[in-house]
Amino acid sequence: MSARTYSYLTVLIGVVIGFFFIYSFIFNPSARTVRNDVIQSFLVGFGLAFITLQILGRIKATKVNGWTTMFRCGEPSIGFLSRAACALTFPGPINLPQEAMYWTTDLDGAGHVLSGAHNYVMHFPAEQLPPNDAFWSLTMGFDNNRFVPNPINRYSVSDRSGLVPNADGSVDIYLQNVAPAGHESNWLPAPAGKFILWLRVYQPGPAILSGEYRVPPVMETRAQ
Amino acid sequence: MMWELGDLLIFGSIMIVTWFLFIYNWPRLILYIYKRAILGKGFGDGPIPVNTLQTEPQTLFADPIHPPASASNLATTGVNRDTLLTVGWLDLRKGPLSLHIPEMNGRYYSVQFTNPSNNTVFAYVGRRTTGTTAGDYLITGPNRKGEVPSGMRQISSPNNSVLVIGRVLVESDSDLPAAHHLAEQIQLTPLNQEGSI
Repeated sequence: MSARTYSYLTVLIGVVIGFFFIYSFIFNPSARTVRNDVIQSFLVGFGLAFITLQILGRIKATKVNGWTTMFRCGEPSIGFLSRAACALTFPGPINLPQEAMYWTTDLDGAGHVLSGAHNYVMHFPAEQLPPNDAFWSLTMGFDNNRFVPNPINRYSVSDRSGLVPNADGSVDIYLQNVAPAGHESNWLPAPAGKFILWLRVYQPGPAILSGEYRVPPVMETRAQ
Repeated sequence: MMWELGDLLIFGSIMIVTWFLFIYNWPRLILYIYKRAILGKGFGDGPIPVNTLQTEPQTLFADPIHPPASASNLATTGVNRDTLLTVGWLDLRKGPLSLHIPEMNGRYYSVQFTNPSNNTVFAYVGRRTTGTTAGDYLITGPNRKGEVPSGMRQISSPNNSVLVIGRVLVESDSDLPAAHHLAEQIQLTPLNQEGSI
C-alpha cells in the first residue's frame, strides 16, 4: 500500500467515525446533558487539535524533490501555529536555520516509499553539494529512526567520509542493501526493508537559507 | 434544532479552549519528554543532575547499534553520526551558572540554549556566533540583577528552565577521543559568592 493510499484511508476512516460520533451524540436530543456537553466538547476540541496539527505539519513544510524541511523553526518570533508544526515535524530541541538545516524523507523522487528492495542513487551535480561553512551529512535510518547495522559499519556519508566524485565533478551516492561493485566508497548501506534519510547541513550557506538551493531527489536505479 | 444557546456556549467555548491549549502547549509537551529523559535516565551512566552537563559516552557514538540498556530511549533514537551530544537541564532559580568552553581550535561546535516553554532558541555559544577560542559565559535567569564578572559574557534566559544541547563535530573515527575530550570540558558550575559581586 502506498503512502498516499494510506493517508486517504486514514482520513476516510476518521470521517466515517466522526460522522457517527456527531450523529449519535451531538444531534441526539435525548443524550444532551451539560455533563455530556462538557465531555464531548473536550473530546471534539482534542480531536480537532490533533487534526489541526497534522494539517499544519503539511502546510508549513517545504517539500523539495520528495524531501521535507521547515524554515524558521526555533525562532522566537514565529507564532504558536508554526511552533506546533515544527515540533511535529522535528520533535525535539531543533537548531535555528542559520546554525543547521535538516531535510528528511521516506520517499524517493517519484513519491514511492524508500525500501532496500530497490537500489537508489542520489546525484549531486558538479558544484552542487550542499553549500555550508561547517559540514554536511546524509544519514540512513530504519523507519523508526534508528541506525541500520551493516557489514562496513557505515551509518552516514558526508564531506568527511571520502566520497569519490565522478570525472565531471558530480557526486553519486549509492543507497542500496548490497555494496555497489566499484563504488564502495560512495555506498550508504540500506536495510532490506523500509528506510528513511536525513540530510544535515551545518552553518548552511546563503543559497540554502534563501530556499534557492534544491536538494536532489533520491532516484531509483532501474535494472539494466 | 435541539440546541439551546447555553448548550452551544458551553460546548463551543470548551472545544475552542481545549483546541488552543493543546496546540499551544504541544512544543512544551515534546520538550517535557526530553526533561524526563535527561533528569531520569541520561545516556546510560545514570540520570544527569539538574544544572550539570553530560557528554554521550564514546562507546555510544562508536557503536550506535548496541546502546546500553540503561540509556534513555531518546538517547538512542534519531540518527546522528556527526556530533557528540552534551546535554543538560538548567534551573536558574537557584542563581546564575557559569559555562566554560575549552579552546576548540577551529573545530565546529555549538551550545544551543532552548526555552522549553515553547521550543525556541534564545542564544548560541559556538563557532558561528562566538568563535572557537576558550571562553566563560554567565547564564542568568529572567530575575537576575547584578553585574557580570569581568571576563565573562552574559547569556540571559527568558525562562528559569533551560534545555542545553551542545554539539561537537567528530571528524573521523580516529578523531573521536579528541572530540570527546573537548566535549567533556564544556562544563557548568554555579557562580560562587566571590564572583557574584
